[in-house]
Amino acid sequence: MKRFDCLKALAEFAGDALVVSSAGAMTLEWNALHPGDGNFRVRTLGLCSSIALGMALGLPQRKIIALDGDGSLLMNLNSLATIARMGPKNLTHIVFDNEVYEASGSKQTATGAGTDLVGVARAAGIKNSQWANSVEDFTRAVTSAMQGGELSFIGAKVSTERTQVPPYPIDEVENKYRFIRYVEKTEKIEIFKTNLPASYV
Amino acid sequence: MNPTEAAKTIVTGLKGAGINLIATLPDVNLADLLSEIEADRDVVHVPLCREEEGIGICAGAYLVGKKCAAIMQNGGFFNSNNAIVSTLLQYQIPLLLLIYYAGDIGDRTFSTTGAMTEPVLQALGIRYYLMRDPADAAELIGRAQVMTEDAKRPVALLMTKEVLGRRALLNSL
Repeated sequence: MKRFDCLKALAEFAGDALVVSSAGAMTLEWNALHPGDGNFRVRTLGLCSSIALGMALGLPQRKIIALDGDGSLLMNLNSLATIARMGPKNLTHIVFDNEVYEASGSKQTATGAGTDLVGVARAAGIKNSQWANSVEDFTRAVTSAMQGGELSFIGAKVSTERTQVPPYPIDEVENKYRFIRYVEKTEKIEIFKTNLPASYV
Repeated sequence: MNPTEAAKTIVTGLKGAGINLIATLPDVNLADLLSEIEADRDVVHVPLCREEEGIGICAGAYLVGKKCAAIMQNGGFFNSNNAIVSTLLQYQIPLLLLIYYAGDIGDRTFSTTGAMTEPVLQALGIRYYLMRDPADAAELIGRAQVMTEDAKRPVALLMTKEVLGRRALLNSL
């Protein structure tokens, strides 16, 4: 199964969900398929699931999708326990497991040596955890996760194949501002506030 | 003030500063403070397994409009450094860090951790203030929140035993 094909399927029904993606080629592929200010690219390996949890807790009425990798999640396995403990119904945590640190020289991760991330997620307390074994399977799992209103974890074993896509178009700070402005606009809330100069007060 | 009164004062300060999501990891000196936070219905309390995930959770919540604080021991601050640098500082995301100062003068635990705490904060360019008197705690928290919002960088408050309503140790072994 190719990650790009799964992402292509996801792009069809992601709608206005906020999408947090882990550092690496996946983010570029996702941005090529589904560009927009509701995408947030994570640069700290491991932190994708935690940033997505923060968003899910902060905006419980909005769908949040985390696009994680095996290397990333293995660095922050404890986030699964915290996610399970907090249980946000609006969070769909997807892990593309290619069994290597793709962005770091393609060395094998622990999943390549047998660690079962769906098993770990379930044991951490995320009941709705499953593997998707084909693009159709993946589409079905994600659709039901998005409609079901339940915290869910979906693992997808993918090949290490990359698709040629353009670089990420913006830097971290611009990503932050655009993302927050997008949330302000679509949620009709004010996040950035400025005060009047002291001479007005 | 006793630990419960000090904890109530600190929580009043946090709520007065607009904080509505707090990520925490326990230290024995933080027990009363965390109990107060746990019991408060107005703030989202996120009990952590490791402090670094708390930096991510607070960053994510900030991006959708929450005002966050992370409460941890200084050892946990060290655990969080990669996330502080490559998420908070890299994206210019504010965060109020309330750090229990283990190894502070009169605290007989982790003296090495205590010795490294301020140098590491300085190396990261994180402005920090020492909290000693519970009577000043609420105001200091308000000021620190103003600073982190304006600077769009984390600001740290180092909580000592005294500000938590506890006594520093004076007896030698």
